[in-house]
Amino acid sequence: MGDGMRPQINRLPADSPKGMAGSLIDRSRPIRFRLDGRLVAGFVGDTVLSAALASGIDTLGLFRDSPIGLTPRATPAISHASLANDKQRALPMARTLAQDGADYVTLGGNRPGALARLFQPGRTLGLVVDDQRVLDLPWRTVPGIPGPKADLLVIGAGVAGMAAALAGARAGLSVVLAESNPHVGGHSGLFGAQEGEDRAEDSMARLAADVAANPAITMLTATRVFSLRQGLARAHQVDMQSGTAQGRVIDIEAPRIVLATGAIERLPIFAGNRLPGVIGTLDAYELATRYGVWAGQSALVATSSSPAYRLAMLASDAGITIGRIYDSRPRPASRFIEFSRAYGIVQSPGTAPVEVGIARAGGSLSLTVDSADAEPLRTERILVCGGWQPDLTLWHVAGGNSRWHPGHARLEATGTQDNIVLAGSAAGYQTRRGCIQSGADAVDQLLVRPRKGVDDPLIDPLYESPDAPATIAEPRPDAPPCFLDGGTAMLQRPAPPRRRWFAARRLQMSGLLVLSEAPQPLAVCDVAAGVDLGLIPQAAAGIVAQERVALVPLAQHRELPAAEPDAPPAWPEVPAWLRGRYGRGAQVVRLVPQEARSFAPGALIYRSPDARHPRDAVGVVLHQTAEGTFGLVAAQLASADLPVTIRDKGSAQARIQPL
Amino acid sequence: MSDTPYDFAVFGATPLAQLLAGLLASVHGRRVVLVGEGQAGYRLVRGIDLSVAPITRPESWAMLTQALPEVTRLVSRIGGRGALSRVNPIFFAEGWHHAMALSHVQHMAQGFGIAVEPVSQSLLGEGRQGIMLRDAVRINRPALEAGLGKWLERAGVTRLQAQKVSIASDGQAEIIAEGAAVVAKQTVLADDDAVMAWLPLRQWPALLRRQHLTSILTTPTQPLAAGIMLQFNSGIVLTQQAEGGIAAFGPGGLSDFADAVQALLGQNRPVELAGQTGFQALQSLDGAPAFGRVAGVGADVAAALGCAGAFLAPAYARWLASSASPEEAAWFGAHLVNRSAKSQPVAEYAPGHGWVTA
Repeated sequence: MGDGMRPQINRLPADSPKGMAGSLIDRSRPIRFRLDGRLVAGFVGDTVLSAALASGIDTLGLFRDSPIGLTPRATPAISHASLANDKQRALPMARTLAQDGADYVTLGGNRPGALARLFQPGRTLGLVVDDQRVLDLPWRTVPGIPGPKADLLVIGAGVAGMAAALAGARAGLSVVLAESNPHVGGHSGLFGAQEGEDRAEDSMARLAADVAANPAITMLTATRVFSLRQGLARAHQVDMQSGTAQGRVIDIEAPRIVLATGAIERLPIFAGNRLPGVIGTLDAYELATRYGVWAGQSALVATSSSPAYRLAMLASDAGITIGRIYDSRPRPASRFIEFSRAYGIVQSPGTAPVEVGIARAGGSLSLTVDSADAEPLRTERILVCGGWQPDLTLWHVAGGNSRWHPGHARLEATGTQDNIVLAGSAAGYQTRRGCIQSGADAVDQLLVRPRKGVDDPLIDPLYESPDAPATIAEPRPDAPPCFLDGGTAMLQRPAPPRRRWFAARRLQMSGLLVLSEAPQPLAVCDVAAGVDLGLIPQAAAGIVAQERVALVPLAQHRELPAAEPDAPPAWPEVPAWLRGRYGRGAQVVRLVPQEARSFAPGALIYRSPDARHPRDAVGVVLHQTAEGTFGLVAAQLASADLPVTIRDKGSAQARIQPL
Repeated sequence: MSDTPYDFAVFGATPLAQLLAGLLASVHGRRVVLVGEGQAGYRLVRGIDLSVAPITRPESWAMLTQALPEVTRLVSRIGGRGALSRVNPIFFAEGWHHAMALSHVQHMAQGFGIAVEPVSQSLLGEGRQGIMLRDAVRINRPALEAGLGKWLERAGVTRLQAQKVSIASDGQAEIIAEGAAVVAKQTVLADDDAVMAWLPLRQWPALLRRQHLTSILTTPTQPLAAGIMLQFNSGIVLTQQAEGGIAAFGPGGLSDFADAVQALLGQNRPVELAGQTGFQALQSLDGAPAFGRVAGVGADVAAALGCAGAFLAPAYARWLASSASPEEAAWFGAHLVNRSAKSQPVAEYAPGHGWVTA
């Protein structure tokens, strides 16, 4: 392209089968916009992120000289170039629909330089990811403006959230349904259908249509709730104003709240787990099915959960070469595994990744696994899955408790909160049927109605192996960094305490020795990884997750009480902490110095000019006013004209004058 | 587990509790069971261990300064060099009354040979007075805790995760752990949490009150004027974290506390929370620490110790093992938890509390 526009090298063909062409983009309506000065092509329906990824921009920047991938869970805030200095109007890259002709810049952290930012070459946004604030969300500190009010707020428009919203409307409640993505539906698609279920896409579409047709439900898309307390939620919303995307922070009042925030995909812990080209299976699936975005023509899979096999088959149908699937489970069983075997995809059970490196500049990766006889394999992309963690972030923000479930290897909510309930996979349900039913069940809980129970029909483990815990590789010398999670916290694996400090440095681990010193909030997956690594005892996982959640206090505005004036007293007072200090009967006396000078209150008084030790002190200066200097002295000294020494910036002689 | 009763059951997760258990076993030859594990590796800061404190009594300063070399050697041996650091904390105050206490602490510290310098108002903000205490020693809890396990094991301390604890009025403890019962002749509740968790309410000493505190951690921001700062008025402690965040703890609920910390840091330095929690601690009515047996005959408690408690561990162990020096015995004897208004006063200035006249 002669105009400097980046070709959409990572866009799947329009005729890709099984939804991999992208359901949200309109390929007949191309757009182009600038991102940090670069021309980026896309289609109507693209987000700024999906268009950037489609154009091959897949790198956030450098972290300790190692590139870090740009993924839906780790994006910088952006802004219209004309508003770049107004961080309150910043926008989320993954939630902002790209607009033709727009000029966006990325925000956050230090840059190599303004010019470098504007003319950043290649596949990187050029951010200095070492700066812990690089992925800050500026709107989190912005006070909210009044937003909609409703009887019920449902957070998350996946199948559980939509079912909850519909159940609320059926119960006669006005409902606000807030969804962080620009679209509704959630993430059921990756998980396919069980026997007797309809297609996930059909289920999502049917619920979405019912929601859209229900006048009692106000749908807020691109609206991410980031703080919560009983009766009030604060959200950042991308709103179209005069045809331009604008960010704003709104407060949503609702006496009842359903949290249907879904589950987060865990990141297996190995060196290089955030290099460009390493991506979670859910992110890869969503990018492909929503936007037709897929990087590279070959991929390897490393998983401890079965839906990854389904993604491998879908990718294979779309013409992607799946070199091999590594599964940490020694004998995994799944309908997806059986099907993928029929695709001829090579499977390596009982094998986990230990390191990913850059094999060749330009996108080729090298994957090393924990099998002694396996040579590192090259590929363009590595799809990883370390299992699923219910997203309890807002549950914790609102004060909810959780505890570690050793069998499920995840944090699960415990207890109840007044007028706030969980639904769907956030509540721990694992099947689509269970998630949908839990939405209605959540409303029953809120309305204190008889509950009908939730049918969450898990397949017998003999036929459908449960997820294994996220894999953990031993640290390797001179390897790329290893992170605990794929989100914005960028928390590197802490180095174990070592007396030989250079050992940690050689292993390229963080300078962080313990999680308590991490200066960023710990996402729920960071905590889960901390448990897996033995850095957090299982019994403490829930309390750590709650106390390290990213909280924005939602206090009612109040006037702080005016501080009481703390002026010197008119007459010397003896504070309680001096009680008995100089024996019973200590008295307040006037101190008459030989030479006029000031003394600090609290200065020590000695009987002898030679005495210096506080244990030898016989009194203390209390107060100095125009009427003189006053002190507290031992009773036997409170006689007229007794000489004493006051030590304060040197020493001074004085005489005692009883009052 | 042996059927022979242990001599001491020490409860607590702070460095004082853990050091105490190990010293009673290794130095004084007692059979010790310990209930409580350090949490500094994964929990927010809820206390610090510092060799200086806002102390106004010379006897207490003497205890602290005499203990310093012994504790420094002990902690280095357990946790390596990283377990200790030299810091220059700043104590600061606003208003006449708290400034007077600050000034008195300054004179006391100087009298005990500590280099103290005034701090410029430009570093603290208008209307604030401050002092910097040079070359204080701080125990780095995570590093110490990393070495405590092996040290306690070598000392022969039995560590238990208690499922149930019964403390008799004569101080004897029965601990149910892993389905078995363990008996210790004397209970030592060696920190505030242990006292609140295990001391039967009917034995609660009148001297102690619960206080609600908050701990927060901020995201990285401009560094503090000193690694540790204590505001006398509010009792807020600010500590600079190695990774750029600021940890703060002090009295109050989250909202008020966060506002107060923001006010201290200045409105030009907006910060976000990277962690927050509420917890309870104990304060004594006279501001001084409390030791000894509840009601004179029950469980031993160590409470309301402020930031210097860990430095008292060797002396406390000697006192419990009846081998304290006369000075140490006198000091602990004056700070008994069942002291009354008729006892020899030991009141201390308590940061964060209102002004009370004698």
